[in-house]
Amino acid sequence: MATIGRTARGLRRVPRYEPPQAPQPETPPQEEPKKRRRPVRYKLFSLGAGLDMPLLLFILVLLAIGLVMLFSASYAYSYYTEDGNSYSYIWNQGRYAVLGLLAMFVISTFDYHRFHQLALPIFGISVFFLALIPIFRAVGLSQLVPNQGDAYRWLQLGPLNFQPSEIAKFALIVMFAHLISRYSDKMDSFRYGVLPFALLLALVGGLIIIENHLSATLIILMLGAILMFVGGTKLRWFLIGGALLVALLAVMLLTRENYQIGRILGWLDPFNPPEGVDTWQTRQSLYAIGSGGLLGVGLGQSRQKYLWLPEPQNDFIFAIVCEELGFVGALVIIILFAMLIWRGLYVSVHAKDRFGMLLGVGITFLVGIQAVLNICVVTNTIPNTGISLPFFSYGGTALLMLLGEMGVLLNISRSANVEKT
Amino acid sequence: MWKKAMRLGLALVAIGFGAVVVSLIRWQLIRGEELSNAALDQSLQSTTLSAMRGTIYDSTGKVLAQSASVWTVVLEPAYIEEYDDPEAVRRTIASGLAPILDMTEEEIYEKSQGNSYFVYLKRRVENDVRDQVNQFLEDNEISSGVRLIEDYKRYYPYGTVASTVLGFTGTDGQGLEGLELQYDSELRGTAGRLIASRNAVGTDMPFEYEQYVEAEDGNDLVLTIDETVQSILEKYLAEGVEQFDVTNGAVAVMMDVNTGAILGLATTPTYDPNDPFTIYDETLQAQIDALSGEEQDAAFNEAQLKQWRNKAVTDTYYPGSVFKMCTYAMGLEEGVVTEQTTYTCTGSIMVDGWNEPIHCWRHSGHGLETFRDGLCNSCNPYTIYIGQLLGGETFAKYREAFGFTESTGIDLPGESLTLYHSVEDLINTPSDLAVESFGQNFSITPIHMITAAAAIANGGYLVTPHVVDRIQDQDGNILETADTSYRRQVVSEETSEAIIDILRQNAESGSANGGYVAGYRICGKTGTSEKVAQHNEDPTKPMEYIASYCGFAPAEDPQYALLVFFDEPHSETTSVGGNSVAGPYFAKMMEEILPYLGVEAQYSEEEYANLDTTAPSLVGMTLEQAYQELEEAGLSYSVVGEESEGTVVTAQVPAVGSPVPKEGKVVLYTTGYDEASTYVEVPDFTGYTVTDANYVANLQGLQISVSGSSSDTATVSSQDIDQGELVQEGSVITLTFVDNSNAETGGNAGG
Repeated sequence: MATIGRTARGLRRVPRYEPPQAPQPETPPQEEPKKRRRPVRYKLFSLGAGLDMPLLLFILVLLAIGLVMLFSASYAYSYYTEDGNSYSYIWNQGRYAVLGLLAMFVISTFDYHRFHQLALPIFGISVFFLALIPIFRAVGLSQLVPNQGDAYRWLQLGPLNFQPSEIAKFALIVMFAHLISRYSDKMDSFRYGVLPFALLLALVGGLIIIENHLSATLIILMLGAILMFVGGTKLRWFLIGGALLVALLAVMLLTRENYQIGRILGWLDPFNPPEGVDTWQTRQSLYAIGSGGLLGVGLGQSRQKYLWLPEPQNDFIFAIVCEELGFVGALVIIILFAMLIWRGLYVSVHAKDRFGMLLGVGITFLVGIQAVLNICVVTNTIPNTGISLPFFSYGGTALLMLLGEMGVLLNISRSANVEKT
Repeated sequence: MWKKAMRLGLALVAIGFGAVVVSLIRWQLIRGEELSNAALDQSLQSTTLSAMRGTIYDSTGKVLAQSASVWTVVLEPAYIEEYDDPEAVRRTIASGLAPILDMTEEEIYEKSQGNSYFVYLKRRVENDVRDQVNQFLEDNEISSGVRLIEDYKRYYPYGTVASTVLGFTGTDGQGLEGLELQYDSELRGTAGRLIASRNAVGTDMPFEYEQYVEAEDGNDLVLTIDETVQSILEKYLAEGVEQFDVTNGAVAVMMDVNTGAILGLATTPTYDPNDPFTIYDETLQAQIDALSGEEQDAAFNEAQLKQWRNKAVTDTYYPGSVFKMCTYAMGLEEGVVTEQTTYTCTGSIMVDGWNEPIHCWRHSGHGLETFRDGLCNSCNPYTIYIGQLLGGETFAKYREAFGFTESTGIDLPGESLTLYHSVEDLINTPSDLAVESFGQNFSITPIHMITAAAAIANGGYLVTPHVVDRIQDQDGNILETADTSYRRQVVSEETSEAIIDILRQNAESGSANGGYVAGYRICGKTGTSEKVAQHNEDPTKPMEYIASYCGFAPAEDPQYALLVFFDEPHSETTSVGGNSVAGPYFAKMMEEILPYLGVEAQYSEEEYANLDTTAPSLVGMTLEQAYQELEEAGLSYSVVGEESEGTVVTAQVPAVGSPVPKEGKVVLYTTGYDEASTYVEVPDFTGYTVTDANYVANLQGLQISVSGSSSDTATVSSQDIDQGELVQEGSVITLTFVDNSNAETGGNAGG
């Protein structure tokens, strides 16, 4: 087995298998050829090659558990909604998972530095898709923008069905990482450290909020703020921004007073909600969690998935996890997410440059924030809002995107200054 | 810079997941069980499987109460909603089921609306209705939306018999009154459950979870009550109520004195437990109908409660002179008097605490009396005298020992508390002691009285009255038997024997002779209690009485005690005392029940002489043959119709096997007579002595059979065929004689 060496800059060479060679005492040592720096090249099909193995392990384990739980959670729902076919949801998700894994490994060989050039195009595309929603609605192509109540979060373009806000999250991370690494020495100024980011956030946030997608808006704002903070923006701007946000939320609360206050009251006591506030989903979620107890009712044994908990395969899949695997199982999954976040950040901060670090931190927080908020919603720790659980919730394009993003993170890990095993 | 990122990450993980874990601990571990139960509640559909209620048998194995399968028709509007055209299905169901279930179409249609999974349509329909419903559903291809659930209905095969003992059940099969209530937990059984998981919309589950807990049928009760005895008691009680226009109900209880087993417990008014909500007293129903609104409801409820209540347990009364048997037993037991002790009754006695003399029922007084005379005369002053000799404390001790101050422990619901003077009152207020000693001004239930009487009859032991002999399961295994052990010994066997003999004499020739039954040595004591409290409330109304007779038989080895009790009897022809009202009915019941219970009659010579013989079979014989037959039987004859030699007898009165008085006659009917002229009207014998009654009967060509008291001064108290009815010449009228010359009447003043 070849030993693993390090270059002067801490980069790791691709380990190769070198067959043990018979000693050649006769041959005098030859002049070594002059070392030449070549662009970093990665092998696709040697999985361990340069990838951070713990990170990859956490991703694969979470994905595997996620798929198993999706199968279990969607089993009954699929039976009822898909004409007795219990395998419909897992079949779809499974295909996208395979596709996603493929994408992940391919992207992990794709040098993340190229996102410097791609930042603007990706951002443009995401804004374009975001803008399509109000445009389609305005021109009456409403069949292209399926709605849930008064929320318009989806685009239906032919066979493609996706949330533009998912793309926007990634686009924003890339854009911010790009700009921050460019302006790294001027981040403490308003002109470079605040203004462009604020404008971009306002643009994207504004487009998402008119979809009536509060949770995605908040996630975007949080991601932006985290990247700016890590990038070096002065703390006082966050205080100002935070104050502005609070004021904005206050206005929203005032304009839609009853609705939001009712939601808050329903959150505080889901079992005795005020009149007109529907806490069914939260209640059923808590029933599921409570039914699980310490060790759970057993994989596949959930009762709450039998139409009690609405759409158990989506945002509330974690409730079914709690019911079937119990407190212990839920804790294991929470720890796995925590490990993923830790490893993602660890890899990111050891990236060889500022751009890689920011990109990795952004992606890690994207996954982390969503996981935390989703589980908070499911356990009624915060009021109910639509956030899906990465690796678990049903949604082909979302899973594809997530695994793609994991590919970027893995690519960063290849060149990161981390000891690989 | 990287520190910032790691710190942020740590904050996210620590705060976010920290909060989540706290939430999980809260919901999953702390409130887990509660939430889990709530989740199970909503997701488990539990169908109750009715348990069959246990059967109630009488002591001979006759079924007194039994449950049988019926069906409850239920609508499931939520399933109807799932049809392609629910409106049409609703209409079909409404129009189709309306005639079958005897409901209006509109009613059914309305119940089929909504989103419920369970609406009662009709409860407890019989099997044939179920078949019709099933047929309708099949014909109209209605597979869901209407359901039939097995249920049970309670049947009482003997109708009103023992109804106030048995009680009845409510719509959910729960016991509401009587034994059905008292033993509800035994009879009810354990309902089974079919637990099936269901999804949120209640449709089929791809994966069934079912748990079937079989219903456990209730246990059976075997009563000490004998349906035959019970029916005899009820028959005569109803007769007595009618004869004496009894306005406040009546009670007859028969008890095995050695075990406390109650063989029969009849009360009036009564009802049919198969339909307990109807008022069976027609006059009462008429009064209710005359009212309106709330008043009517109140009156209706009151009438229902009145007919349901078991007067023997729930109503208290002053035992009156019947109680004297206890006072005399106390005196003898304590030795304050002996059988030789004499006392002179002057007709009244002055007692401290009351400013007027307390009278004996015979105001002229009984004069010098022995102990035996005192009880046979039912003399108040003698009883007061014994009470005074005993003193308040000793009297109270025995009162308690006889069980008058506690529950008798009978296994029927609603036993009344007794009311009595405190020991201090008895000691400090001589009039209270005096009045209690002869049974006035303290309230007990009839069950208390007969239990005390049983103690005197059985050698002094207080038993526990009970109506359930044993509880057994469906396989006949005995689970529990009644406790027939004695609660305590109240008086000695010697005292018991002495009082028994006095009471035997009392029933034979004393103040209680109305209860005399030829061939059985009856022991008896009468009681005529004044309803003083009621009279004091409204003195404008005449004083009402309770006429009671308590006794037991046979004297040589008492086995069965019987208490007959009429509340507010009325009569224009006779006094309404215990001897004249309750005595004869006591006798009639005993006369019919004792032979049934296997107590053999043993006649004295005198009794034997009075005994009836039975008419031989004469129809089809020639007159000559008939004459000879009758001569051999010691009977005389008369002939109606053709009397020539060789004429064949076509009919005879009394009929073959019917009783004929000793040395009575048989009227032989031949041919060629006017049918109509052979009928005679029955005269009214009431108040006649035996001699007078014989004379009147002879005038009409009738014969009499003597029952009850054989004393010369006894007079007719009732006759078995009413005055004015037409009977054929030669018929035998049974007359019941009572000697009221020494029978107490009301009028013993009390404090």
